[in-house]
Amino acid sequence: MSTTPLWPEGKICGVTVTVNFDAESVDLHEVAKENLYGRFSYGRYGMRAGVWRLLEVLRAQGVKGTCFVPALDAENHPQAVEAAVKDGHEIAARGYAFEDHSKLGDAEAATLAKAHAVLGKIAGRAPVGWRAPQGLLSPATLGHLADLGYRYDSSFQDDDTPYVMRTADGKEIVELPSIQMLDDSTLYGPRHSHDRVIKTWKEEFDAIYGCGLFVNLTLHARGDSGSGRASRARVVDEFLTYVQRRPGVFFMTCAEMAAWWKQHHPQSEAAPV
Amino acid sequence: MRGKFKWPEGVRCACMITVDFDGPSHEIGRKLRPLGINSWGRYSARRGIPRYMDLFEKHGIPSTFFVPGYDAEYYPDTVKEIHRRGFEVAAHGYLHEGWELGDEEEELLTRTHRILTDLTGTAPVGWRSPSGRKTARTMRVLKKLGYLYDSSDKDYDLPYMARIDGVRLTDMVEIPNNTYSLDDFPWFKFSMTPASEVLTQWKQEFDSLYAENGFFMLTFHPRSGWGSGIPSRARIVEDLIRYIKQFEGVRFYSLQELARWCLANPGEFE
Repeated sequence: MSTTPLWPEGKICGVTVTVNFDAESVDLHEVAKENLYGRFSYGRYGMRAGVWRLLEVLRAQGVKGTCFVPALDAENHPQAVEAAVKDGHEIAARGYAFEDHSKLGDAEAATLAKAHAVLGKIAGRAPVGWRAPQGLLSPATLGHLADLGYRYDSSFQDDDTPYVMRTADGKEIVELPSIQMLDDSTLYGPRHSHDRVIKTWKEEFDAIYGCGLFVNLTLHARGDSGSGRASRARVVDEFLTYVQRRPGVFFMTCAEMAAWWKQHHPQSEAAPV
Repeated sequence: MRGKFKWPEGVRCACMITVDFDGPSHEIGRKLRPLGINSWGRYSARRGIPRYMDLFEKHGIPSTFFVPGYDAEYYPDTVKEIHRRGFEVAAHGYLHEGWELGDEEEELLTRTHRILTDLTGTAPVGWRSPSGRKTARTMRVLKKLGYLYDSSDKDYDLPYMARIDGVRLTDMVEIPNNTYSLDDFPWFKFSMTPASEVLTQWKQEFDSLYAENGFFMLTFHPRSGWGSGIPSRARIVEDLIRYIKQFEGVRFYSLQELARWCLANPGEFE
């Protein structure tokens, strides 16, 4: 077993805060563009109101996070992406139109390349990280990402810390895994209350912090299962305040975390297929 | 209901903390690749199993790990390690089959039996149905393979002598479980209950069962997602073990040990 310390000298628990934009690109899987009204406008809520509130919370907390943005949503709401960039957050990729990447087949490489180009142009910088829409990948996804110059993926739920994967042709890509209970949609989806969410997040954080591991918080800007509503942005604020009070906690963007991890824990393993 | 039973001298409550390995087999069996959101099963061997072996050793708890054959092929060293550290390795399907197996069943049961026997050097003597499906044929095959117990039925709160084709056996035991409450997945897959509330639930289950027959069995899965591999959930399992240990006459068993006790005292069980 490795005796290399997990984290930088004096640090106990690394935290990344991520916001999945997931706007109309999600709702368009259910209805056509002319039907994006009523109960199909929760995605739009995220871009009109939700994301601005979350940016405000992160600003107040002094935390730089990572925004995973479907490129189609970036095209429709460039001002939200630009505001995140202006605040110093990282913009990372999340498909073009929230595709199920396990089913794209031969079209996958081109879809990733298109999303990469569109998002890079709007964000002013090529993304280096990716998170799978719906959490679904094909065995080829990581290889395509590495070919496009991506440094990390953040879609798996199979470990307590980042780790380095090796694609079939020997390229390395860092995985930043997460857990379902530190994803807002897990609890808001089935209509749990704010009280239950904050209770759950604190319990999960306490246990991870107690083991000195990695927290990868996943938020959504959406108005249904996300954290964009006023009351829910407060839950995020309360949670981050709770986290920041602990000694040895440090925040990084996902790109910073991936780079730091690979530099200090370079050992890689074959990516699963 | 107070059943017919007799625990060993000095034992007031027999406790079993059991682990269903459930690695990638669960997804592979459903034609899903163990990638992204479907990588939960990978957590078992990478983190969950080592975490629980350490926890059980720390508290001196014997345990039974039910292992699907596919996961044993995928993570042979982990399964060997479970056995080497003195825990029981028992069978749990090949691909965590959750569908009707028909004529395939005997071959699949035999395949996993051989895989586990080859890895540990010891033939498994216990089986638990993945997904809870089991038929009269299952029991006939298990009997043929020499199993001493099955732990799949939900029809009682105590071990009892197994029945095959209506005949009460004296060389095979049923050790039933309660997957509606004394299992992790109902809480973490369906109701998304905070870990602390699940701990309260399990303590209440223990209190009632301790008072009644003194038979308590918990089942959990060391995976991420709907399992209990992650730190918050390992913490409640540890808290539960600490809680149970405070009670008089509690003794922890592997299922094999308990089954052997029942088989040595067949007249004391239904």
